[in-house]
Amino acid sequence: MMRSLMVSACLLLPQVGMAQELPAIVATAVESHILPRHASLVAETSELSSVTQEACLPGDPTLEAAFHAAFDAWINVSHITFGPSEADGRFFALSFWPDTRGVTGRSLSDLIASEDAAVGDPAAYAEVSVAARGFYALEFLLFDDAVSTQGNPDYRCALVQAIAADIAATSAEIYDEWTDGFAELMLTAGSNERFRSAEEAAQVLFGTLTTGLEFTTDLRIGRPLGSFDSPRPNRAEARRSGRSLHHVELSLTALADLARILSEGDPRLQSLMADEFAAALERANTLDDPTFMSVAEPQGRIRVEALQLRIRDVRALAVSELGPRLGVAAGFNALDGD
Amino acid sequence: MRRRDLFAGIGALSVMPSTTWADANNPTFLSAARHSDGSYHLCGLDERGTVLFNLPIPDRGHAAAAHPERPEAVAFARRPGRFAMIVDCARGREVAILSPPVDRHFYGHGVFSSDGSILFTTENDLETLDGRIGLWDATQGYSRIGDIPSGGIGPHDIGRLPGSETLVVANGGIATHPDSGRTPLNLATMRSNLTYLDADQGPRDVVELDPVFRQNSIRHLSIRDDGLVAAGMQWNGPEFEYPPLVITHALGAEADLLEAPSDIQRRMQGYVGSIAFVHGSDLVGATSPRGGLVHLFDAQTGEFHSHFHAVDVCGIATAPSGTAMVTTGTGVVGQLVGAELASPQTTEWMWDNHLVVVQAI
Repeated sequence: MMRSLMVSACLLLPQVGMAQELPAIVATAVESHILPRHASLVAETSELSSVTQEACLPGDPTLEAAFHAAFDAWINVSHITFGPSEADGRFFALSFWPDTRGVTGRSLSDLIASEDAAVGDPAAYAEVSVAARGFYALEFLLFDDAVSTQGNPDYRCALVQAIAADIAATSAEIYDEWTDGFAELMLTAGSNERFRSAEEAAQVLFGTLTTGLEFTTDLRIGRPLGSFDSPRPNRAEARRSGRSLHHVELSLTALADLARILSEGDPRLQSLMADEFAAALERANTLDDPTFMSVAEPQGRIRVEALQLRIRDVRALAVSELGPRLGVAAGFNALDGD
Repeated sequence: MRRRDLFAGIGALSVMPSTTWADANNPTFLSAARHSDGSYHLCGLDERGTVLFNLPIPDRGHAAAAHPERPEAVAFARRPGRFAMIVDCARGREVAILSPPVDRHFYGHGVFSSDGSILFTTENDLETLDGRIGLWDATQGYSRIGDIPSGGIGPHDIGRLPGSETLVVANGGIATHPDSGRTPLNLATMRSNLTYLDADQGPRDVVELDPVFRQNSIRHLSIRDDGLVAAGMQWNGPEFEYPPLVITHALGAEADLLEAPSDIQRRMQGYVGSIAFVHGSDLVGATSPRGGLVHLFDAQTGEFHSHFHAVDVCGIATAPSGTAMVTTGTGVVGQLVGAELASPQTTEWMWDNHLVVVQAI
């Protein structure tokens, strides 16, 4: 997914000397970035599902804390879109956003109004519209003014439990597929058909870095920014639970970690990347506008745009310096994506 | 405005053109390009790839549409396009700049009605993100007539069945909004289609692929004299799947999916940039700039024919004489002979995605 954004481009040979370093870089990315983050997602979503058995209605502090911890764990891995995450539509089952047509609220509202029996059966719930599954649907049930108060509280409780259980099950499937073969494919790149060389594996990881940065600039920030004449603060990601800016910070932190690993062996570039990420995070930390409400006012807008530009700078550095190092170069048409 | 009014008298309005394509040195092909100095142009090329003229355009172009009679071309901006420039190719000057209405943007392709009286442009409705086809009066200085539904989301290329007014629209299925750059907004739910429609009567046929290919975005078209449509696709589904990227379809029939042996299919990287019938229309050529690869298929049987490599290859088209040309983003232009580029030249022009034939074949 998001492949159209990926810097797949013309694949060239990596820089001299890199060929020996790439297997180690891929191994570090898998073992110290991908696997522990997914293990954490399994733990947090499993905890969330347990908590909903005791507390399932909006306003409960224990439930909200578990929701935030699990959502954090997802944002920490949401840039890793390839492989087990995109298989069987799992990514969208956890993460249906952006929702340009407001389908999540409508689907949940329909389920509540009809008291759809799918909530009683995990297999049945896994078949409902992806818009009514995952973290963004759960956020609606806990924080949206209309949906969180609609209909029968007992039914909404069952719905919260069903969605949390579904999130935990999907997260566990992703982790199991990583540990049950996919990680091995990346570690043995060059001797399997999926990854025919360590370069291929490194290039996929590089794609997740640049695509993850674009997701943040174009969607997490671009959606609420809208245009000067038509700002769209109501389009901010997870604004109901006050998480919009927090997602930008979490994502930058995760991507900085990945960039550090991918630039291993080049201390100058590693330090440059770290500085660029730090500058962007500094901007985010000082924004003091958790849901990008300020985009509707000129002063606030300038600050949000400045954050967006900072993150574009990070991406530009990755494309111009890290990409060629890993053997990814930009072609005029190859990068056009049209 | 009522549709009946829009179309009354089409044909009767066509006038003898004061200049013809001969006055523009008879270019065979048009292509947008970036010059090595960084400026953007629309170029006219002959069958040897010689640049006959070049006209500056305000920003990066994408594709062009040639008027059937007047030496006039429409150069479309790259998506999300805020302009289309009407160019007088004989006098080497701009005739008009088309701007889409405020709640629309161009997608980068367009086509003329058979008599050249109406220009059709693929557009995005920025409120609903539904696809629209804009209509412009080419007899009246390209005034805006109105618009109609494209039959899907994200319409990209548009063509016309030869000898008819039936439009063929590649609705790529991907919703985008300039506020979010070119980032897809609906990959979870996207569904591409090929829509045949008559502007005054609405859709005639809508072709959707099997749901397993719902994330295969139908984007570019080539249409043969007999109405056979070849379409090139771009895969937005899982990274490690390599589905077919080419279909052929005739109105009223089932679509055929064309693919290469798996190893060669994989090297296209899920992406076809341009498509064209070549070699007497017996073959379909599909280019992948990402893979640096061109696939050729037998148009009748759908069998894979051959492939060849060219870095950043994208433009491909066949001249009325039958000469097939290929261009690349690295500046190469060459004739396609058999399954290779004959005497390719490297120019100072980085050729943009599409090579467009001045007269439809």
